[in-house]
Amino acid sequence: MIGDVIKYEQDNIDTDVIIPGTYLKIHDYNELATHAMEGLDPDFPSKVKDGDFIVAGKNFGCGSSREHAPIALSTCGIKAVIAVSFARIFYRNSVDGAFLLPIEVDEETYKKISNSDKLEINIENNEIKNITKNETYAMKPFSEIIAQIISAGGLFKYKK
Amino acid sequence: MTETLFEKIWNSHVVVERENEPSLIYIDRHLIHEVTSPQAFDGLRVNNRKVRRPDLTVATIDHNVPTTDRSLPMIDETSSTQIKTLEQNCQDFGIKLFGINDPNQGIVHVIGPQLGITLPGSTIVCGDSHTSTQGAFGAFAFGIGTSEVEHTLATQTLWLEKPKTFEIIATGKRKNSFAVTSKDIILSIIKQIGTDGGTGHVLEYHGDAISDLSMEQRMTICNMSIEAGSRAGLIAPDEKTFDYLNNRKFTPKNYDELVDDWKNNLMSDANSKFDKSFTIDVEKIEPQVSWGTNPAMVSDVTSKVPTPEEFGHNNEIQIESAKKALSYMDLKPDTAIVDIPIDRVFIGSCTNARLEDLKDAAEIVKGKTVNSAVSAMVVPGSQMVKLQAEELGLDKIFKDANFEWRESGCSMCLGMNPDILKPGERCASTSNRNFEGRQGSGGRTHLVSPVMAAASAIAGHFVDVREWC
Repeated sequence: MIGDVIKYEQDNIDTDVIIPGTYLKIHDYNELATHAMEGLDPDFPSKVKDGDFIVAGKNFGCGSSREHAPIALSTCGIKAVIAVSFARIFYRNSVDGAFLLPIEVDEETYKKISNSDKLEINIENNEIKNITKNETYAMKPFSEIIAQIISAGGLFKYKK
Repeated sequence: MTETLFEKIWNSHVVVERENEPSLIYIDRHLIHEVTSPQAFDGLRVNNRKVRRPDLTVATIDHNVPTTDRSLPMIDETSSTQIKTLEQNCQDFGIKLFGINDPNQGIVHVIGPQLGITLPGSTIVCGDSHTSTQGAFGAFAFGIGTSEVEHTLATQTLWLEKPKTFEIIATGKRKNSFAVTSKDIILSIIKQIGTDGGTGHVLEYHGDAISDLSMEQRMTICNMSIEAGSRAGLIAPDEKTFDYLNNRKFTPKNYDELVDDWKNNLMSDANSKFDKSFTIDVEKIEPQVSWGTNPAMVSDVTSKVPTPEEFGHNNEIQIESAKKALSYMDLKPDTAIVDIPIDRVFIGSCTNARLEDLKDAAEIVKGKTVNSAVSAMVVPGSQMVKLQAEELGLDKIFKDANFEWRESGCSMCLGMNPDILKPGERCASTSNRNFEGRQGSGGRTHLVSPVMAAASAIAGHFVDVREWC
C-alpha cells in the first residue's frame, strides 16, 4: 500500500476534532466526509487524496466511541493512520468496519516521517518504507487477534 | 489462584476462549441511543438478521433531544430524523424504548442505574464511551462502536481482547467533603496518570476514600475513566451498591439471593495481582479546574495557569500541545485560576447531573443570584432526576437565582442539540471533555465539579469553593 503523508505533529487528536458532535446526525458517509478533521484542519477534505495516510503522535482518536470518526477519514480516502499510540475504541472501530489500518510506530519513527513523504506500508513484514527519504522503519506488529480481524476484512467476516 | 474482580467477571462471561485468539464474551445488557445505532440496524436489515435478545436491549433518546419545551415541534430536521429512525428501529425489532416523552427518558448512563438495569457482576455495553459510568456498580461496562453495536444486536456477544488490570488506590479523607468532590478526585487522577495512562486497562478503584463515596459520586469517577484512556472503570459493590439498586423498576425478583451471591464473589481476592498500580492521597486534593483542551490539563483552584514548560517538562510535544491549548483557550500562563472570568455555566451531563449533584449545587446557589455577566443552565441527567429535584424544590432555587431549568439530555456536553457555546465563549462545565469545539465550534470549556460550577456562576469567575461552605 503506497500513499502520501498528511502529518499532524500533536498528541491526543480527539474524536471531537476528527468529526465534531454536531455532524453525528448525518447518515450519509459522503456528506460526513466533507466535515472530516474540521475541528483541527478545516482544509483537510479539500487536500486529502485517495490512498493518503495520516501521521500523528500519541493517543490518536481519544474520546468518543463514534465510529463516524474512522468512517469520515476512510470515506475521504485515508487508508491508514500511523501514530505513536491509539485510543482503544477508535483502534477497534477502524479494524471492525475495515475502514482503515491503525498502525503504531515508535516515537523516533514518528519524528522521522515528514508531511508529504511518500510511504509504502507492508503489513506482511511489518515494515514502512519511506520512498521520499529512502528509509525503512519497523511498525509494531498487530496482535494476533487484530491481524485475524484485519485479514478477514472486518468483524462481521471474522469467524463467520 | 487469586483473581481480580475484573478477571472474575470476565471469566464468568467467556463463551469461547482459545490461545492467541480474541475471546467471545457474553453481553448481559445492551443499551442503545439514537446516534450510534442507525447504521447497526441498517446492517441487520441488509443481512436479514434479527435482534437476538430484544429483552436484554434497552433504548433511549438523549444526544439530540431539545432541552426546551418538548410539546413544541423540533426545529432541527436531521435530529428529528435520527430520533424517528430509532423509534422505528425499536418498533421493528421489538426493543423497549424510553422515548422523548417518557418519564424514564434520560441520558443513557443515568437511566441504566436508576432503573436497576445495571447489575453487579454483569457485562454491559453501549455505543457510547461513557458506558464506563456503570462500572461503579461492579459491572464490566464499556463503550463500543457501531460495528460492535450491530454484532451485539445480532449475537448478544462480542469478540474482545482481554484488557489488563490497573488498580487505583485512593487513601485518606477529603479535607472538605462537600467542596472537594469525586469530580476533583478523578480529575486529579487523570492529571497524574495522563490521558493515555489507562490505555488497554480496566481501572479498579478501591481504598477508604472510594468506600466513603456515595453511589452517585462513584459513578462520576467511573464515568471519567475513559478520559484516562482506559477500557472501563470498576468499583467492587458493597452495601451502598445493594441499597441503591433495591426496588428499582427492573430490579430482579430474586434480588436478595443475588445480593448474597455478589457479597461472596464480587471483589478482588486479597493479594490479587494487577498489571499496574497507582496510589493517591485524597487529603491533598483541592477543587480542580481544567485550563486546557484535554482532561489532563488541570490545575488546583488556588494555583495558576501553568507555563507550557511547567506543563510539558522536557517533552517538546507536550510543550507544543500546551501552547496550542493556551492559545485556543485564550489564557496567559501565570494567570491565577480564580481570576479567569466566565460567560456560561453548564450543570449537566452523564458525569454530574444526578440528584446529589443538583442538590449540592443548589445548596451553593440558594438565596444568591447568577452574576449579570453569566448565563447559566441546569440540565438534569434524566426526567426522573428532574422530577425528584422538583419535588425537593431545587428547580425553584435555581430559577430564583436566574439559572435556566431544562428538560434532560446530553445537551451542552457535546453540542449536538441547540445548546451550544458561541465561538469564544468560556464555560464552567460539569461535563467530561474540554476538547476543542466540544461544546460548540470555538467554545472554551473548563471542567469543574457541580459546586464549583454553581459558585462560579454566582461570582462570575472561578472561586475556591471551600470558602463557600
